[in-house]
Amino acid sequence: MLNEVESAEVSNGDEEAQMISVSEEPPITAGDEVIQALREGVRLLPPQAVKDLLSIGVCVQCIFRLFGVHGHNYSCFSILQSNLYAVLGELIYLDKQILDNTSPKEYSIRHSSKDSEIEPPICSICLGILQFFYYDDKEQPVRKNCPHDLAASISEVVKTEGHQIDNFSFEVSIPPIIVENEQAVRFYMESKYGSEPWFHNTFRPECISVKDALKLYVVTPLAMSLDIQSSPSSFHVRLTYSHAKASSRTNFSEGIQDSKRRKAGEKMCSDTKKSLHGLLEDESSECCKLPLEKVSQPCSLSITCYRKPIYIGGRYLKYSRNVSQTRWIIDDERMGEASVEEIIGGTIRPMCRGDNYKFHAAGREDIDVRMLGSGRPFLVEVQNARIVPSEVAINDIEEKINNCKKVLLSSMVRVKSLKVVGTHGWALMREGEMEKQKQYAAIVWISRPLEDEDLQNICALKEMKISQKTPIRVLHRRSPLEREKIIHWMKIERLAESSQYFLLHLCTQAGTYIKEFVHGDLGRTYPNIGSILGCMAEILQLDVTDVKMDGFNTD
Amino acid sequence: MMNGHNSESDHTKILEDEELQRLLVPDVCHLPLTPPSAVDSNFVCYFAPDFIKPGHDQYVYRHANGLCVIGLAPMHVALQDKGGVTAVDFNVGKFDRSGIKVTGKRKRNAQHFEHNTALCKVCTNDNSYIVRCCVKGSLLEVNDRLIKQPKLLNTSANREGYIAIIMPKPADWLKIKASLIGPEDYKNLRALS
Repeated sequence: MLNEVESAEVSNGDEEAQMISVSEEPPITAGDEVIQALREGVRLLPPQAVKDLLSIGVCVQCIFRLFGVHGHNYSCFSILQSNLYAVLGELIYLDKQILDNTSPKEYSIRHSSKDSEIEPPICSICLGILQFFYYDDKEQPVRKNCPHDLAASISEVVKTEGHQIDNFSFEVSIPPIIVENEQAVRFYMESKYGSEPWFHNTFRPECISVKDALKLYVVTPLAMSLDIQSSPSSFHVRLTYSHAKASSRTNFSEGIQDSKRRKAGEKMCSDTKKSLHGLLEDESSECCKLPLEKVSQPCSLSITCYRKPIYIGGRYLKYSRNVSQTRWIIDDERMGEASVEEIIGGTIRPMCRGDNYKFHAAGREDIDVRMLGSGRPFLVEVQNARIVPSEVAINDIEEKINNCKKVLLSSMVRVKSLKVVGTHGWALMREGEMEKQKQYAAIVWISRPLEDEDLQNICALKEMKISQKTPIRVLHRRSPLEREKIIHWMKIERLAESSQYFLLHLCTQAGTYIKEFVHGDLGRTYPNIGSILGCMAEILQLDVTDVKMDGFNTD
Repeated sequence: MMNGHNSESDHTKILEDEELQRLLVPDVCHLPLTPPSAVDSNFVCYFAPDFIKPGHDQYVYRHANGLCVIGLAPMHVALQDKGGVTAVDFNVGKFDRSGIKVTGKRKRNAQHFEHNTALCKVCTNDNSYIVRCCVKGSLLEVNDRLIKQPKLLNTSANREGYIAIIMPKPADWLKIKASLIGPEDYKNLRALS
């Protein structure tokens, strides 16, 4: 277990070597080496310009970024900020010219490593982000002294959520004004030092961005702390920085934000780059004037982590005529005894320790219609699952669902072929819905005795077109249309002991209203069984016996 | 020769089919001799005897979803005329009711009619009679099959011979409901068996 080292305990830069040994993990590069490399990089910098940047409130991390000083800065994660300031301090105050012109107060910055009470001001570019200074979600100010400490805080959040993970994706979101701040500083530097010989080599136009720098600082120690890899993953760790008071100084920057909100595919990138460039050249532009607004507060940081939705699919059977497919509540009263959605989704969600679930099925059946035979394909989408169930766990879930809600020893709902599917399962379900055929069995009564001729007539009708006006029972909520549907085949099965009741097996196009095809819906579905047999026909019971969907969850 | 795995899944399939068959086939002795019709199962039937004019008996079948099917009750005078109904004309009032096409889920372009607005004219050999809405509401549909097959009114006025479908507002339904009577009361009123 790694200890979180509080800033109060470490105040002396000389103790850095010992501080690093507190960590149980060997550092990637020894702290001494990194400091040495930094010193060498810093030695090449123009002291006056660096002092200038410090005086307008730019932090040491941003100074290193702007001047392209890396020196393994991003590979040792326990280097204190105070060490970094000390390195810079050496550069500035070894310069005799500066030393002569320095006031005692300014000089004390050099000694900040020995005096932890003088904190550097909040950076005017990164608003404290790279200084690891922020307000936490309880609005308390937090200062972390090194990347390792910040990573430890993030790690705690992740561990508390309790996800079972092998890897993670890392996302950072920062206030847009930071980009403007950096542009303003660049503009200032160009106008003041543009003609200096060192300028174009040392102060390059491209440098690591604040976002990328933060990622470089945090990702590796975070991965080590969680003992997992950073790689493209369904599990996301996200740092969201926001700053209430730092408002955009111009409409222009609002324009950038608006254009970011527009749909992808519009060529915004080149436009914004061009505009920024144009702005730089416009000396009288308001937003690039210095001094930048003094920043009195750091950003608020929200650390979140979540797993993208996982999908568990299979086929369900419904044996009850009093169970609806989805939760059905009218005026606070539930219709039916239960719902397939709640039985299945309500069992899967807690087994994955997810936040929510959504139930999707390939079509639906009425509450009083049973779903038999091969079953109906479905997908349960689980949001932010803490565990992705293993095969064994899936079998447990399947058993649990099949044994749940029993009435007189028979289950109301059963599932088959349950498994975790990738997002392609979703596409498969949607694609199948409209084209696929459905098979049914109905108990039909007619107003006269059944003849052998009837069986033959019905059997002979193949690919029969029927026209269905929107059934009256759904006319209140669907458009009044006339829809053509196809009855692929039909077969009558006689019932012993009855001359007027029989079992009608039929296979129809998806979207056909079967009940209306039998009783005719006052003649609004035509042809119908009554019109074909030349008598009145009524339907007593309907069962779905097959939902033909090749390639989806078949054993 | 089938290998072990094949015969196992075939066997499962046979068992599943048998189970399915068992589930599908009903116990006939539990089935009613004559089941209720789709209308009786899904609608509540009301009657408006002597609606506006004597002898103009109409029915209103109300579905659980609020829609009302309007038609001629068994003792409507038109059905008693010799030769029965010979023609149905929806071109009454300001425009032809069979020409309206209501579209969309909200049915916003439906015509709003009063309870006494004329729906159609029903003609027999000797007479013609006006059929009215009975219920105030939006006219969703008229049964235009009656134009080509007016005889439907003679054979099945209570089913395929319905006149129109109207969607009343809940408040308007309650108002008219008070003046309607149930099937038993209608039978007694008209001394039907």
